[in-house]
Amino acid sequence: MSLALSRCLCRVLSRQAMPSSSLLGEHLHLVQSAWFAPVMTLKTSAPLRAEPKKKKKVDPRREQMLRERLKKKLKKLEKVPPELIPIEDFVTPTKCLDETRERTAPRLSFEESEGRALLLKEWCRYKQKQHMAEVEAVELALEAQREALEELKLESEELYRAALKPDPLLIPFVHEGPTYTPAIPNYDAPDGKYNDITKVYTQ
Amino acid sequence: MQQKKMAAPCGRMASRPLLQFLSRFSRSPVGNTGFRQFSSATVCRAAFQINEAAERANSPWTLMAAVCLQRLPVISADCSPIEQQFKQMLHQIELEKSVLSDHELRLLEDAERMSRKQADDYDSDEEDSHGDQEIMMAQDLEDIWEQKMKSFQPAPRVRADVDKDLTSAERCLADSLVLLAEQEVGDEKLWLLPQTRWQEGETLRQTAERALTSLPAAGFKATFLGNAPCGVYKYKLPKAIRTENSIGTKVFFFKAILADGAPPKTKTAPFLWVKKSELQKYLKPAYMMKVERFILDL
Repeated sequence: MSLALSRCLCRVLSRQAMPSSSLLGEHLHLVQSAWFAPVMTLKTSAPLRAEPKKKKKVDPRREQMLRERLKKKLKKLEKVPPELIPIEDFVTPTKCLDETRERTAPRLSFEESEGRALLLKEWCRYKQKQHMAEVEAVELALEAQREALEELKLESEELYRAALKPDPLLIPFVHEGPTYTPAIPNYDAPDGKYNDITKVYTQ
Repeated sequence: MQQKKMAAPCGRMASRPLLQFLSRFSRSPVGNTGFRQFSSATVCRAAFQINEAAERANSPWTLMAAVCLQRLPVISADCSPIEQQFKQMLHQIELEKSVLSDHELRLLEDAERMSRKQADDYDSDEEDSHGDQEIMMAQDLEDIWEQKMKSFQPAPRVRADVDKDLTSAERCLADSLVLLAEQEVGDEKLWLLPQTRWQEGETLRQTAERALTSLPAAGFKATFLGNAPCGVYKYKLPKAIRTENSIGTKVFFFKAILADGAPPKTKTAPFLWVKKSELQKYLKPAYMMKVERFILDL
């Protein structure tokens, strides 16, 4: 850029200088132009170069910034929140709302409805007793353990500390819970084949 | 429905109130003049251990560890009368509030079709042709399912003869059982939870594990629930035998759960598997008082 400008200026100046140097002839003209050129460049280069350089830095930067802002806006627009996976249990299937499936609701006699209400109250009392018994039993067991740890502490500090350490091998602890009938020893269960039609959703 | 028996929580829950006593350790005034300071990390470990050994030597109580091995229930317990009533009532309510299922609709359709077939003005052309589906009626399907169910014989829930055999681990499948062993304590043979003496250099839990494995003809596979004891029983020796160094014994109990797979039974093994309600017949009253607290029969 600077060279082109300096060349232009050179030409301009040389044109202006033409009438004065026309007498001198080509050599002088050349010398003049040759002499002018570096001077021109020297004179015009420093201040002139500064400005275009600024433009150079700022322009690509500005363009880049514009481009980035546009890209960010595009991304924001494109960001759609992922669709929520529907919970199958909360959606009543339309089969259940079919009217042809309704049962004829039997009319309950007064005694029966009374009986049901009374049974519910009995059950409430029974369950409360059960729960209180459970809580008491657990408290007794905790008390027994606390006593044991106190006695152990009186005995030996080292054993006490060893007792307080958590056991890493205990968890995970797996135990098969009670079934209705006991397991038949050496029972060969027939293979059950099934087609798994559960819907798998991906986000 | 599955039930999981959890032993009394060890470690953190029990130690919370105890950790509040993190002050100077002080011994009971039995004869130990050298009080050991409760150390921080700055105290030399070796000196600590020497002190520890000296202390143990001075303690007049012998330590023993016992194992409370439980076989958890294998089948669900029978419902009590009120539970049965409630179960029936709930079943009825559910039936009333429900909607007809596919199978029931099919039954109704088939019944209707049968009644139409048997009516006098039956015109088979009016029927929609179902083809082969006509042959299999819903009732037939039900009969087939009944037959299949009958051909399967489940194991019986209650076997009276096994229930009476106290040495079998298969008795009373609906309750949790505890293992009792006959061991010599002092001069007499008593029924108690298998115990053994503590030795230097092992933790009490290892002593309990040793107690379990050292039982004659044992082969029990058990999972110990944590490092902390669940109960303690201390007794003083009769005055005649008491000396400076041995006033009595402290027995620490550890809970364990019998892993699946009952071991082979030997007739002469002096074991008993008893329910909590039967414990009273075999254990001494003071011992029973301490032991029944941590054996949960829920």
